[in-house]
Amino acid sequence: MSRNTIESSKTVTSKKRDGIFAPSSLFGYFMMLPAMSVLVFFFAYPLTYEVWTSLTNKTLGNDAKFVGIQNYIALFSDPEFITAARNSVVYVSFVQGGKFILGLGIAILLHQKLVARGFWRAVVLVPYAMPGFVAFMVWKLIYNPDVGALNIFLTKTGITDAPIAFLGDRTWAMASVIFATIWRGFPFWAIMFLAALQAVPKELYEAAAVDGANAWHRFRNISLPGIRPVILIVFMLSTINTINSFEAIWLTTAGGPSDATVILPVFAYRGLAAFQIGESAAAALSMVPVAIVIAIFLLNKLKKD
Amino acid sequence: MQRTNIKFSIFKYAMLSLVAIFVLFPVYYMITLSLRSQSSLWSKSTLLPVDSNLDNYRAAFENTDFKRSLLNSVIVCGTATLIAVLFSVMAAYALTILKFKGRDTLGRVIIIAFLTPGALLFIPLAVIMANVGLSNSLQGLILVYLSFMVPLGTYLLIGFFRSLPAELEEAARIDGASRMQALWMVLLPLVAPGLVSVAIITFTGAYNELLYSLVINISPEMRTVPVAILNLSVADEVPWGRTMAFSTIAALPVMALYFAGQRFVVEGLQTGSVKG
Repeated sequence: MSRNTIESSKTVTSKKRDGIFAPSSLFGYFMMLPAMSVLVFFFAYPLTYEVWTSLTNKTLGNDAKFVGIQNYIALFSDPEFITAARNSVVYVSFVQGGKFILGLGIAILLHQKLVARGFWRAVVLVPYAMPGFVAFMVWKLIYNPDVGALNIFLTKTGITDAPIAFLGDRTWAMASVIFATIWRGFPFWAIMFLAALQAVPKELYEAAAVDGANAWHRFRNISLPGIRPVILIVFMLSTINTINSFEAIWLTTAGGPSDATVILPVFAYRGLAAFQIGESAAAALSMVPVAIVIAIFLLNKLKKD
Repeated sequence: MQRTNIKFSIFKYAMLSLVAIFVLFPVYYMITLSLRSQSSLWSKSTLLPVDSNLDNYRAAFENTDFKRSLLNSVIVCGTATLIAVLFSVMAAYALTILKFKGRDTLGRVIIIAFLTPGALLFIPLAVIMANVGLSNSLQGLILVYLSFMVPLGTYLLIGFFRSLPAELEEAARIDGASRMQALWMVLLPLVAPGLVSVAIITFTGAYNELLYSLVINISPEMRTVPVAILNLSVADEVPWGRTMAFSTIAALPVMALYFAGQRFVVEGLQTGSVKG
């Protein structure tokens, strides 16, 4: 009985201090209100609406009728969706692998003693500063069989006899799109890695040098562990962006030739354009599991810091 | 020792030069082709700048649809950026400086929204905007863009607010400042680089956005720049010279903004992802 009283009095005082209606709390909610309104109307509501729609047979102009998980069943037996899902995995894996290698290599290069380091860093930032839609139109041009720079170079130097339709040929299309996406995205990685390398305490290197560690050992045992947290965060953020890269595909190949480069956002967009709203909602939602895994990871990481 | 140093230096700058060619060649090719006519492209296959003239640029500035789309982009992205920066500062301030019930939950909601790929929501957003009569309008696009700009801006600004000393706000309050005064006169000047960085990052994010603009603003007079450039091509026929001239015009101001504010952009990205 007495224990109960103590507990309840404790909750009363703590409620007084930071309860919902305490003056400081009210001010907090007031400051959060605009951002939260945006999220309610343009994030939570559309997301709920999408989950509902994915469970109906909604098409344009037709009323939605509840059909349960029928869209999902149809989706997983649709060969085009399976292709899109598989392409997404290939595309994201190779793009992220490429950005990691290029980003880390260039960060290490920029971390050396350099004349005009600021200039070189600015050069590396160019693809990132260029609007994505411009970058991918330029790459579409570079790959063009008639007027593209790559084919002019390859035929003039005699490496190939006839021009290659890099974006129109099933063997080349995916690799070409991946390469262009790496070009546009690696600067973010390089700049983040460079900052992380610069934040590793210099004394650690000096101590290791005294102990006779060679360059590889210093990199392996000091640099790499030092920048590990940044590698993980950059990897997560960039993966979300890459899963999302509709424009990279839409502007270059639009998913072709014969679905060789269709990824999930392109598949969902085609569905919407064909007014299959219920089904394409289900397709878009199939990206959620990946996003959830990444979100949980990042939230835990941020909590620890 | 000396000799290996020289060798290493040569190696370093050789690698850097390769990187520079890799990075800058597409920009060079975009500009040289923007200066050539379609017939010149077909008759002379060369990587050098030949037959240069400003016809494609003249065509761009005489094209009312393209000028309209540039104006649309500036209106949409400018307005959305102002709103997004305001909302983000308020939220980031509340989430780092103020203490209130449910703060951590709201912070988590912001991060989840920040991590949600835009391609997830374009279908319901297109349908909802059509239902409330806001598709084919600049207002509708502004509202939709806020859905990714506000979480992004808040996430980045949380990093900037966190990097301030914790006692700063309390000290200002003890000196008799109200919460608003402390925010306005003490905290905001210190996160000013963060505001610039968030403004540039969210503005360019909105300016580069293609998918939402494609599904929400369908009529030609409401197009933004990316959609206008996409629509220069008819079927598979791309007028390359013209497309590259329009692209150059579209890219240069944004790239100039990016490099003018490079210090802030880099700081913003680092604060966001490192101190986050």
